[in-house]
Amino acid sequence: MISQFFVLSQRGDNIVFRDYRSDVPKGSAEIFFRKVKFWKEDEEEEAPPVFNLDGVNYFHVKVAGLLFVATTRVNMSPSLVLELLHRIARVIKDYLGVLNEDSFRKNFVLVYELLDEVIDFGYAQTTSTELLKSYVFNEPIVVDAARLPPLGPAAMFMQGTKRMPGTAVTKSVVANEPGGRKREEIFVDIIEKISVTFSSSGYILTSEIDGTIQMKSYLTGNPEIRLALNEDLNIGRGGRSVYDYGSSAGAGSVILDDCNFHESVHLDSFDVDRTLSLVPPDGEFPVMNYRMTQEFKPPFRINALIEEAGAFKAEVILKVRAEFPSTITANTIVVQMPLPKHTTRVSFELESGAVGHTTDFKEANKKLEWGLKKIVGGSEHTLRAKLTFSQESHGNIMKEAGPVSMTFTIPMYNASKLQVRYLQIAKKSKTYNPYRWVRYVTQANSYVARL
Amino acid sequence: MSGHDSKYFSTTKKGEIPELKDELNSQYKDKRKDAVKKVIAAMTVGKDVSSLFTDVVNCMQTENLELKKLVYLYLINYAKSQPDLAILAVNTFVKDSQDPNPLIRALAVRTMGCIRVDKITEYLCDPLQKCLKDDDPYVRKTASICVAKLYDINAELVEDRGFLDTLKDLISDNNPMVVANAVAALAEIQENSTRPIFEITSNTLAKLLTALNECTEWGQVFILDALSKYKAADAREAENIVERVTPRLQHANCAVVLSAVKMILLQMELITSTDVVRNLCKKMAPPLVTLLSAEPEIQYVALRNINLIVQRRPTILAHEIKVFFCKYNDPIYVKMEKLEIMIKLASDRNIDQVLLEFKEYATEVDVDFVRKAVRAIGRCAIKLERAAERCISVLLELIKIKVNYVVQEAIIVIKDIFRRYPNTYESIIATLCESLDTLDEPEAKASMIWIIGEYAERIDNADELLESFLESFPEEPASVQLQLLTATVKLFLKKPTEGPQQMIQVVLNNATVETDNPDLRDRAYIYWRLLSTDPEAAKDVVLAEKPVISDDSNQIDSTLLDELLANIATLSSVYHKPPEAFVSRVKTAIQRPDDEEYPDGSETGYSETSSHAAESSGPAPTSSGTSPYAPTKQPGQAAGVAAPAAQMPDLLGDLIGLDNSLVPVDQPATPTGPPLPVLLPASSGEGLQISAQLTRRDGQIFYSMLFENNTQMALDGFMIQFNKNTFGLAAAGPLQVPQIQPGTSARTLLPMVLSQNVSPGPPSSVLQVAVKNNQQRVWYFNDKVSLLALLSEDGRMERADFLEKWKSLPDSNEVTKDLPGVVVNSVEATLDRLAASNMFFIAKRRHANQEVLYLSAKTSWGIPLLIELTAIVGIPGIKCAIKIPNLELAPLFFEATEAVLKG
Repeated sequence: MISQFFVLSQRGDNIVFRDYRSDVPKGSAEIFFRKVKFWKEDEEEEAPPVFNLDGVNYFHVKVAGLLFVATTRVNMSPSLVLELLHRIARVIKDYLGVLNEDSFRKNFVLVYELLDEVIDFGYAQTTSTELLKSYVFNEPIVVDAARLPPLGPAAMFMQGTKRMPGTAVTKSVVANEPGGRKREEIFVDIIEKISVTFSSSGYILTSEIDGTIQMKSYLTGNPEIRLALNEDLNIGRGGRSVYDYGSSAGAGSVILDDCNFHESVHLDSFDVDRTLSLVPPDGEFPVMNYRMTQEFKPPFRINALIEEAGAFKAEVILKVRAEFPSTITANTIVVQMPLPKHTTRVSFELESGAVGHTTDFKEANKKLEWGLKKIVGGSEHTLRAKLTFSQESHGNIMKEAGPVSMTFTIPMYNASKLQVRYLQIAKKSKTYNPYRWVRYVTQANSYVARL
Repeated sequence: MSGHDSKYFSTTKKGEIPELKDELNSQYKDKRKDAVKKVIAAMTVGKDVSSLFTDVVNCMQTENLELKKLVYLYLINYAKSQPDLAILAVNTFVKDSQDPNPLIRALAVRTMGCIRVDKITEYLCDPLQKCLKDDDPYVRKTASICVAKLYDINAELVEDRGFLDTLKDLISDNNPMVVANAVAALAEIQENSTRPIFEITSNTLAKLLTALNECTEWGQVFILDALSKYKAADAREAENIVERVTPRLQHANCAVVLSAVKMILLQMELITSTDVVRNLCKKMAPPLVTLLSAEPEIQYVALRNINLIVQRRPTILAHEIKVFFCKYNDPIYVKMEKLEIMIKLASDRNIDQVLLEFKEYATEVDVDFVRKAVRAIGRCAIKLERAAERCISVLLELIKIKVNYVVQEAIIVIKDIFRRYPNTYESIIATLCESLDTLDEPEAKASMIWIIGEYAERIDNADELLESFLESFPEEPASVQLQLLTATVKLFLKKPTEGPQQMIQVVLNNATVETDNPDLRDRAYIYWRLLSTDPEAAKDVVLAEKPVISDDSNQIDSTLLDELLANIATLSSVYHKPPEAFVSRVKTAIQRPDDEEYPDGSETGYSETSSHAAESSGPAPTSSGTSPYAPTKQPGQAAGVAAPAAQMPDLLGDLIGLDNSLVPVDQPATPTGPPLPVLLPASSGEGLQISAQLTRRDGQIFYSMLFENNTQMALDGFMIQFNKNTFGLAAAGPLQVPQIQPGTSARTLLPMVLSQNVSPGPPSSVLQVAVKNNQQRVWYFNDKVSLLALLSEDGRMERADFLEKWKSLPDSNEVTKDLPGVVVNSVEATLDRLAASNMFFIAKRRHANQEVLYLSAKTSWGIPLLIELTAIVGIPGIKCAIKIPNLELAPLFFEATEAVLKG
């Protein structure tokens, strides 16, 4: 059982502190912060999420720049505590709309009220925003969201594209809209994080998709919802299927390695027609998480070349080709490449007519950084960079440079081809027609090309 | 609510507390609510608002739930400091526990359980009894947890009032949330009790497995963890349990998944059918892999657990090695764990893929990760005989990149590979020798030297190579010196020509006459003796065949592994340590609210001391299975093991993990000195009273102690231990107290040393002491270190020095404090008194009617203090200023000065 829970700012200030068992000294927050800040143990410079110091076990997760910390003295389940810390962050975010120091301070009474219900004597009670609504009475004071970094995967809808209603992800589930009426709407986000490693010859070494179907409902009266997925969806891989329905996988069908579901989901007809039914609780929650290692077409091809051009010089050519339809546009693309450590100067040469490109040489960690505001499907972009070294290279700059990594966001695109065929809301009346937002987005997790 | 809560954090004008008091007593509800919020805000930032206790409690009787909750929050925080006033709240609590609103009933019970005041606890029983049988499940689930709270405060009361039976009945409750909390409470109570209280029968098992399906995710974890204690009767039952638990693997909550995995693994031990086991392994693999898609923090926990699981059941994830490949954006703690698992899963089938990955990692930026990757290649070579050659060629490729730390790491692992496969890969020695002059890390150097010595007969210029190291022999670290010594002897035995003959003279001379290191000297003398009496015997010994090594560097031995596997999904499985190695029960401490924080602190000191001592108790023996430096017959090795540090009895050690620096008491003490402050009153020490104080005599620090035995028995076997403290104060010798008969006392002077066990962090004058005897438990008490005891006799400074020093320190190093309670009646007497405390007079001047005195002092560890005292004779109040290089000492100094001057 948890002894204490606290939230620290980046500077180490106590924003929230709750002691449930008084068996850990009060100064634990300070002790923890000092330890984490100056961590240097086992040759690692970043504190692991769980560690023991003087008989006290500390757990922490970082969310939106804040440290959520719990302590205990007993041998309890660390995944429970870490998961709980993430959930607490999510519940508080559901209530406050945004998660940051300011919103915490403005709402500390509400936060304490929540914490009293979420944890009792160190035991997790409930983290369901829906359930908590019947026990929590303080109203949130909404802070100005515009200048704040949002939280969570759905936050990516905030960037670039104007297609999404921007307020959705920073709206409190309990606060009333100005004007008193709540807008009836529901968001279903299919969020995929893809990891691909290309070998130096462009061959795909590993590829993986971590996907989530995330839901956030602002519907009154909690109507039942049916969510239909691809009919030919298969779970369990090829010959080594762990489930019964693996073998019939036809070409072109979506095959998931594994998936799990939120506890509110009924799977009665899932095996028959791949539909999920649920009564969505309030707040943001993952309906389904899935993992896929089936081959898929990577959205980008990366071509990187580094060549010596004399004793103290080398040239880098980076090419990025977007292999998705031209109706789709990727945004906030960043390509990074570590350069040989004796690099002192880099001069960049962009293709003619390049718009919205930024280039930078990060001297401190010898990294080249190429930012592109957007890339339209089917297009190709090239960057040339001339490097100058302070020392003669020993003929192995290939080994000293790279690998090239890439981050990006592609709205309305998903690599897995998993689809929401329809989203059905049980109707209360003929005129009841809430807004439904089904959104797809693909993001790079670890997208790497080796040299 | 109109405003923002954050406004409550802004400080108002002067009288914040009186202002709040007014507002709390306001006739307007809203104003009172606002005021309570302000109080809570002040509480959060650490201000003491306990003086408002009565006023806040007065707001308790309200229908407003929001306000009530705030008042309760306040009560939980301050009731302990105001136990007498807390009783005022009891009536409202009892009333609330019968409120028609279930939320208020639950709130009252929940809060009462959090108030650890005996008088309140008494009143808790009746409401609790009722609430455990409440109609509303929310009240029942809250009451269930409250039983655990009460047990923690007063276990007897819980047993006497029959709460345990009521709790057990709740396992059959129709609400799964209530069941889960009842299970959690019972499990905790069982954990803290020696009697069997909560034993899972097949009947409870069935109930809990049913509840499992309907519980909240957190409740599922409580139930699964409690069930993991259940021992199935036979394979049949185990299979049944597993069948019921397996669906939990599909849960989105990682904690549920891991707890289910634990259950299944435990039951699998009983299942005999290999088909069933294989099938279960197949079922567990995908969910385990899916854990790696969670947040990095959870990935870390999952990886630490998977590390254990694959050691027992390597087949589970044999085909999944790819998912453990590092992503470039993984946090370093995740990467390191993945690497470890990759080595474990590496096989002849996947080694090419794995090596490709390792090679890539070895060119990354993070130095520690790179080193670990290089080492991983070596470990694969040792593990997989058929892949060794490929591993070596990867290592050679890496050496060619000429990145210094990669080369050194590679040489270290190649030495292990040579050791594992003797006479196989020596052809690469030439390539290694090219990097000879770039080696600057002791381990790499030592490895290279070992290789040269071991294969001296195949390296044409082995003598030249070794000679190049010999020049710097005296400056080398001990590990390198030892290797040089052995390698030179090997060279000489293999090539007894003129060159090596001269070299051996130089080395033996260096290693005997010129060294202070007993290991080195002993080994050198043994070689010398061997060589001079029987060179053939020397050959047999030094060039003996070495035992084969294997890669067990990160394998956990099987009994420990069993224990850790039984603790999957607990902290134990993350630390890879059995629970008793890190779980510290502080039950006794909880019952003593006055020094509640203390035992934790003491924990520090004890564990640190012992681990530290373990490291420093003589040079560690270098021999181990994997070390090539330690051919078994090598005689130097035996000599290398220094005698262990003096054996100490470990009485206290049994209790608090301490096994040295405790000293038995067997000599009489000398009674001396004035009355000492009582630190452990007889009332807290069950009749033993301890008075003590730090004193300084003849330039030495002593802990002057008086033990008074008011118990009915003779006390003996006294021992003492000091926690880590700012000054590193520790006992310099044994505590010498004779047996103390009932009704008598004993005095002793315990010599102390400084800078032994310095606690980091801001300086504090607190000295935490633990004393034990053979008859009682350990007593903890706090003392305050007076800087006076730590000022050295040679603190007198010349006037010129003083001036110079004063000027050389920036003004920012000057601190001033007014000591209002001190009065100087005579300058002379004051100076005498200060001098007696080692604060030495330097100069004096008059400024108007003020006397300004300058003094110097020095701490025992050499920090000078420059002091300026300003006072008017006969008028209370003195201004004390000091300049000091280390500002943190200032508060302690002021404290000390005040003490001296007040006399």
